[in-house]
Parts: sequence; structure tokens; C-alpha cells
Amino acid sequence: MNKSREFDNVLDECLERLLVRGETIEQCLQSYPEQAAELKPLLQTAVAVKKASAIQPRAEFRAKARYQFHSALQAMERKKRLPFFGWLPQWATVVAIVLVVLLAGSGTVAASTNSMPDNPLYSVKLATEQVQLILTPSDIGKAKLCVKLADRRVAEIIYMANKGNTQQVEVITQRLDNHLVILASSALAPEVGGVQKVLAPLPEAMPSEETRDSRDVLVEANSRAELRMTVERHAVDHPAALQAALEKSPESVKPAIRRAIAVSEAGYEKALEALD
Amino acid sequence: MLLNAGGCQVQNEESLVRRAQQHDQAAFAQLYEANFNKIYRYVALRIGNETEAEDVTQQVFINALKSISSFRWKGIPFSAWLFRIAHNQVVDYLRKKTRQATAPLDESLVSHDDNLQLATERKLDIEQLVSATRHLTQAQREVISLRFAGELPIAQVAKVMGKSQGAIKALQHSAIVALRKALSVE
Repeated sequence: MNKSREFDNVLDECLERLLVRGETIEQCLQSYPEQAAELKPLLQTAVAVKKASAIQPRAEFRAKARYQFHSALQAMERKKRLPFFGWLPQWATVVAIVLVVLLAGSGTVAASTNSMPDNPLYSVKLATEQVQLILTPSDIGKAKLCVKLADRRVAEIIYMANKGNTQQVEVITQRLDNHLVILASSALAPEVGGVQKVLAPLPEAMPSEETRDSRDVLVEANSRAELRMTVERHAVDHPAALQAALEKSPESVKPAIRRAIAVSEAGYEKALEALD
Repeated sequence: MLLNAGGCQVQNEESLVRRAQQHDQAAFAQLYEANFNKIYRYVALRIGNETEAEDVTQQVFINALKSISSFRWKGIPFSAWLFRIAHNQVVDYLRKKTRQATAPLDESLVSHDDNLQLATERKLDIEQLVSATRHLTQAQREVISLRFAGELPIAQVAKVMGKSQGAIKALQHSAIVALRKALSVE
């Protein structure tokens, strides 16, 4: 039994040397002269099996599979664009919009703007933000709104960290992440699309963007430049503010704040890449 | 690569996975590119049909995309997790198909030990290999597919199959012996 186990180990070691380190069968056999007779035919078989199994997928299949994967990625991204309403049935979204529109006149919405997560009006604030996102038609508008919302989330994280509420810090960090994802994908929108940059070339060209007159282009360019400046500022300020909160907060909350810092750093980096 | 990945590579993979879990599309794309060929080869060897292997491979990556948020880094490398998905996908596929019952190791082949004509000395192609693997047990086929087509190190094969490394080495040994015998009579 032990002998058999020993041989299994020898065979495995020889396979590694042969197939990974590029040694020859003879070199392996020299290391194990006693087992050479038994090893040799097995190593020959292994080399042949390795060669035969080194097949490559067809180029057309690779392109098709890559395209499908890219489509699935984008579909998931679109799903995540509505993080709060996405899971609700359509009628609930409509009801939420109507409620926010009605409340807008009553002053409740205005009062909720500065509410923090431990305030009863906080859910009104979140619902209002989601309605604003849904009702913002342009990608650049959505991106700007997300910058504003991310700023609010960071303030809320710091507030809840001061209160030692780890769970809320984690929940709000997730919201911050969602805003930054939408920010990056909206910033990419005028171009072909982020995934294609890394998965290109794709088999079918994406539909080309409609031509716009030069004035529209100039306005959008200015708008993107302005957005980029704000994002650049937040990319520095937000992690720094969170870092300051980390130093003052109780030990129990620190891992959650570190995660928030990582999310903000990665999110802004991605957004800036998209804005390049 | 058959050998275990170095610490740096593992760290790199871990960071890619974390980024992918945070919806970083570039990270997803890198993981996809790094594993696509290996998964395809593994599936092709298990299924033995190019067209169907393509469909199954695509499905593996779509499933991985859907469930990446559930992946937890508990000492199990991402590639082992991905191969686990591929394994399940292959099992599902074979179950749905009027499965080609994998023949247990044929005793007549085992005893055919005199003056083995080395079929492996002639050029072995994938069809011959697939055909020869039908003489293996399910577990032997799985080890050969993961190890040679998927290029997984022994430790990862053990994780994918839920067995000890010693058991995998023993299976690897018996699988190569069986393959050699199968190839010699084909």
C-alpha cells in the first residue's frame, strides 16, 4: 500500500517536471532508476494525452461566446441600475413615483433631503432620489446625479460610523457602490461601451451613434469636463474623509469603514477611466 | 499550467475576483479570458462533441457570471470554483442526454499486458483520446480531464472533486494505466 502510494507521488512529480517544467522523460527516469521501467510507458502516455487534449476552440466560437458573455454582462449592469426599485413589481414603482410627486408639494420631500438613516424621513429621501434617477433622461444627467448622491452617502457613512452602527455603514456602502457603478456606466454611455473595450474585437459592430450637430457635441464635452472635475475632487475628498472617520471610530466599525474606503477608491477610479 | 499557481498569481486572482464581485467589467473580462480555453478543453474531453462542448462552455461562464457574488474566498481558488460549475454543467448535460454509460475498466484490457504496442507512439488525436477515455471510470475521466485538459494542479483537482490529494494521485495513476491499455488496442 505504502509502495503504491509512493509510486503515485513519484509519477505525479514526474508529470509536473515533464508537462510544466519542460523536462524530458529521460531526465525524470534518471531521478528514479528503480521505477524507470514502470514509469516510462506511463509518462509516454501522459505526454501523448497532454498533446491530444491541447485543442483550441474555433475562432468563430470564441468570438460568439465572447459576444454572448458581453451581452450577459451588460444585461446584469442594466439590472443593477435600479438598485432600490429593481426588485419591485412595476406597479409598485409607479406608486412610489406618484407618492413622491404628491409629497413634493407638501414640503416632506424638502424636509427629508438632509435626513440621516436614523431619521423616519430617510426612506422618503431614498425614494425621492430613485425617482429623480428614473426621471433623468440623459446619461450625463444621471452621472451628475450619482455624483451628488455618492456625496450624500459618504456623509451618511461618516455619521453612522460616529454612532458605531456597523450594519448601517455596510448598507450605505452598498448604496454608494451602486451609485458609483451607475456613474461609471453612464459616463461610458456616449461611447460604444466599457466591456467591449476589454473584450474587443466583437463579431458584430455595435450600431453607430447618431450624428449630432457640433454645438450639441460641444455642450456635452463641456458637461463631461465639468463632471470629470467634480469626480476628480470627490475621488480625493471622499476616501480622505472616510479615512478620518476610520481613525475616530470604534474598533467594531473599522472593517466596514475600510470597505467603504475601498469601494469609494475603486468606484471613482472606474468612473475616471470611463470619463477619459 | 499544471503546477500550483504561485502566491502572487493567487493574490492577483483574488483581487480580480473581488473586483468582479463589485461589478468591475474589466476584471470579469480578465477572468473570462484566463479560463476560457481550459474550461473548453475540459468540457470537450468530457463530452467528446465539439458543438455541444461549445454550448456547455458558454453556459458555464453565464452561470459563473450569475453566481459570482456568492463566491467566497475560503482557500478555494476561483478556477477550482469555475471548474466545479463546469463539472456540474457537464453532469447535467450527460444526464439529459441518453448518457453514454462510461464503461468500467474492461478486465480483458487490463490483463492484456504482453508486449504492449504503444499506440501513444503514433500521433494521438482528440477523437482517439475521447474514445479511449470511455474505458475509464467516471472518476478517472474526471481526473484526466481536469488535470490534462483543464491544466489544474493536483490540489485543485482534489478540491473540485472533493477528495484527498492522495486519492487523486492514485486515480491519476490508474487512469493513465487504463488509458494506455485502451489506446494500445484501439
